[in-house]
Amino acid sequence: MSLIDPSVVELSRLQFALTALYHFIFVPLTLGMTFLIASMETVYVITGKEIYKEMTHFWAKLFGINFAIGVATGLTMEFEFGTNWSMYSHFVGDVFGTPLAIEGLMAFFMESTFIGLMFFGWDRLSRPAHLAVTWLTALGSNLSALWILIANGFMQNPQGASFDPDTMRMQFTSFLNLVFSQDAQAKFVHTSIAGFVTGALFVMGISSFYILTNRHKALAARSFRMAALFGVISSMAVVTLGDALGRLDYLVQPTKIAAIEGLWQDSNAHSSAAAAPWLVFALPDDAKQTNYAEIGVPYVLTPLITHSENTAVPGLISLEQQAGPRILNGIKALNALQQYGQDHDAAALATFKQYENDMGYGFLAQKNAPNQDLTQITPANQDAIVAQTEKDTIPNVFVTFWSFRIMMFLGFYFVILFAFASYYSLRNELEKHPLLLKAALWSIPLPVMACEFGWITAEAGRQPWSVYGWLPTFQSASSHPVGYMVFSLIGFALLYSAFIAAELYLMFKFARLGPQHHAEPSVGGTATMFGKPQLADKSWQ
Amino acid sequence: MELYVVLKVIWAVLLGVLLTGLAVMVGMDMGVGTLLRFVGKTDKERRVALNIIGPHWDGNQVWFILGGGAIFAAFPTLYATSFSVFYVVMILLLFSMIMRPVAFEYRSKAGNSWRATWDWAFLISGAVPMIVYGAAFGNVMEGVGFHYSWTGQYFQDESFLGYLLNPFALICGVMSLSLSIAQGGTMLMLRGEEPIFGRARSAAIGGALVAAVLFAIGGVWVAHMNGFAFTAPVDPNMPASPLTGQTVAVQAGAWMHNYQSYPILWALPALGFVGMLGNLLMNAARKPAVAWWAGALAWVGVIFTVGASMFPFLMPSTTNPNQSLTVWNSIGSQYSLGWMLLFALVFTPAIIAYTSWCFYVMRGKVKVESITDDSHSY
Amino acid sequence: MGKLFKIVGLALTLALGVFLAVVAGDYGPWYFAWLVGTTMIVLIAAAGAVMFDTQETNSNGKV
Repeated sequence: MSLIDPSVVELSRLQFALTALYHFIFVPLTLGMTFLIASMETVYVITGKEIYKEMTHFWAKLFGINFAIGVATGLTMEFEFGTNWSMYSHFVGDVFGTPLAIEGLMAFFMESTFIGLMFFGWDRLSRPAHLAVTWLTALGSNLSALWILIANGFMQNPQGASFDPDTMRMQFTSFLNLVFSQDAQAKFVHTSIAGFVTGALFVMGISSFYILTNRHKALAARSFRMAALFGVISSMAVVTLGDALGRLDYLVQPTKIAAIEGLWQDSNAHSSAAAAPWLVFALPDDAKQTNYAEIGVPYVLTPLITHSENTAVPGLISLEQQAGPRILNGIKALNALQQYGQDHDAAALATFKQYENDMGYGFLAQKNAPNQDLTQITPANQDAIVAQTEKDTIPNVFVTFWSFRIMMFLGFYFVILFAFASYYSLRNELEKHPLLLKAALWSIPLPVMACEFGWITAEAGRQPWSVYGWLPTFQSASSHPVGYMVFSLIGFALLYSAFIAAELYLMFKFARLGPQHHAEPSVGGTATMFGKPQLADKSWQ
Repeated sequence: MELYVVLKVIWAVLLGVLLTGLAVMVGMDMGVGTLLRFVGKTDKERRVALNIIGPHWDGNQVWFILGGGAIFAAFPTLYATSFSVFYVVMILLLFSMIMRPVAFEYRSKAGNSWRATWDWAFLISGAVPMIVYGAAFGNVMEGVGFHYSWTGQYFQDESFLGYLLNPFALICGVMSLSLSIAQGGTMLMLRGEEPIFGRARSAAIGGALVAAVLFAIGGVWVAHMNGFAFTAPVDPNMPASPLTGQTVAVQAGAWMHNYQSYPILWALPALGFVGMLGNLLMNAARKPAVAWWAGALAWVGVIFTVGASMFPFLMPSTTNPNQSLTVWNSIGSQYSLGWMLLFALVFTPAIIAYTSWCFYVMRGKVKVESITDDSHSY
Repeated sequence: MGKLFKIVGLALTLALGVFLAVVAGDYGPWYFAWLVGTTMIVLIAAAGAVMFDTQETNSNGKV
């Protein structure tokens, strides 16, 4: 039997991480801006004021530049499960593929068909009909996110499926459990609203630029107002949902929450669980299993995670030790399963059923077994293999700890920024606070960063599993030669770099240019952060 | 018949429907992309050509995405194995496909050399995917080298050069490209005026002619090449696992067995030819609306011809024929097939309704003035 | 009579809405929160824009 090549697994992980993170530069803006644009158009249809139509057109144009790459890179994601994660697709495709198929049927068709009408239908549709089309686009893009996150929720906390020894894969057993899984729900709302924050800050930042440079003020002040209010509620909601997700991780993914908090020892290793500190800063050392330079706030960790006063949170070291018996059971489960696959022996099936819930841990041990073959584990080498596998059961703490903190600090920064922005916008005093406007402008990329670090927390924190507790990432990958991976990685790097260069070029060009029908001359000599507006450039027409 | 077997057969047919929907809707846009540099000599002409499918390409492309998603869910093992075994071409397909949305949105937003670059991107992203699409059918009919370990992990037994440089697959690829050119040309005639109309017409006629000839050559080839057949009865109700339960032999001419048993199936290749000739004649007679539907029927005929000759095989293995993927052993569970059927029954009519409405709203000829006046046009 | 029908219709819609909310709150509390929250966010943003126009009219009137 051929062996799984660890470097191919690592390269597949690298490729998936890079393409997924790249895709997610563009997704949040789509999720948020569609609703924000729909809100603007709603105001236009209700009040009949032309300025809101102009706003809708202008922001839709910038949205379109972003949307194109979002769609393009989304194609990659749909393919990559099959091209690089063959065993994963075979093992959970029956349940994981279903939400993806429904996403296409229910959401993506809707979004993509109506977006054509949204851009091209202005002169062919009545105002309410066009408004309905815009709303359907917004709804479609967020429904799309819903089904994708239901699928991701399954990877975090597999609900609604069970393993079938006759087909050697997980089979779908409950649609409702899959769709209403707590993880899927909280993840969807957290991610969708994070998109709202991204869209709001994008609109607010570019509006700030116009206010600072004294251009397009009617459009900019109104856009700023709407975006600030949109953002202030969204950013508060995103923090709330983040807390809900943290609590869920505590309940179903103890290794992830311990890694997020840099918790090596159990929380009651301090004077009591209640006194355990929440670490604001630390430098986790994965090799030595300890933290350096800890700065913590006592009495915060326990209530934050457990929503109770004095419940102990298990640390990574004891979680590793708890995995030991499960690894032994998992080895028995997989050996029985292999036996059953060969001769459909009833006794083997009974043995498998006894240890079924630990079979994922058997897969984990396979990586460390001689020739990746569990049947070659003997009493002599067993202890060493189990000890090695125990170490594999926890994620990289440094990465999880810091990506979580960056995301979270940014989240609180957004709440504060939007709160001030809303306050001064409501008082119409924006021009007296250029510092706030500059902060808004320079913060445009930050929500995207927060989203990316959020995904790193969620996915790096789930390691070593691709489906938590059932299938390790190591087993999920396709058995490619290294050359294939080099070929595709180089191609993606070249194409995606070209895309981002083209996108930024156009984005800056059209943001500088401003709305076309309402072009005001810029105030000469104003220092602008994007350089001089190029009103003469009409080459797009 | 058992409910599970009924669901398996329904989803096998739906797989054909999906692949046909993909070929008709995406193929048409790909044809326009391939023809862009030919039908449009000036920048304005090219913009007219792009805006003919401008409001629709994104919606059409979802057929492609839905195809991926539905195969993932309904035929997990087929999805897992085929996408990995064909890694190199799948990645090439992907690279060419992802240029297209960006090309549409970005092409007309900057100067001349910028536009010229994106026009080449349209050619690549139109032609390459259609060749790969057809070649995939060709390769699958010839069988692919792979086997499984006991866990269900696939292992590849054949170099990628084997399926890249393969004369039968290339014939299939060029045929699929020709048919997409015929459909793309038809669409350009539907909503374009002279000179685009005339250029598109000659391209479409040429495309349909080449497609019909290659379809005939391919048919003769299939009748003589190695096919796959069961040597012992198979239980269609079997658990969906390729590891056990089948004995398969490689036989020359086996792909004709279904036609010998059910002569009515000859109607399918006949439909393909009628569709292609209908498309050709109607375009020659300057009736692109009728020609479009004839072209769609041609796709139905071609894809179901392949399906009918292979059924129930989906992707046979040359190196371990017993582990060949069939409708019976690579499909999803009864539960997920049932739920997805429910969703398909509810949403497919809705999709057809709003797609038609979208085409209805955007009906009529595309004119140069309407493009330069609209800041959103491509 | 027509008014009565309207009131009954409204009451029924309201009852159905409450019923759906209770069910959604039980099975999908966060999905429900998203529906309510997104509606609220959109309405507040729209209200902010309308308020801006009013503020502008008022200040112009004073000048």
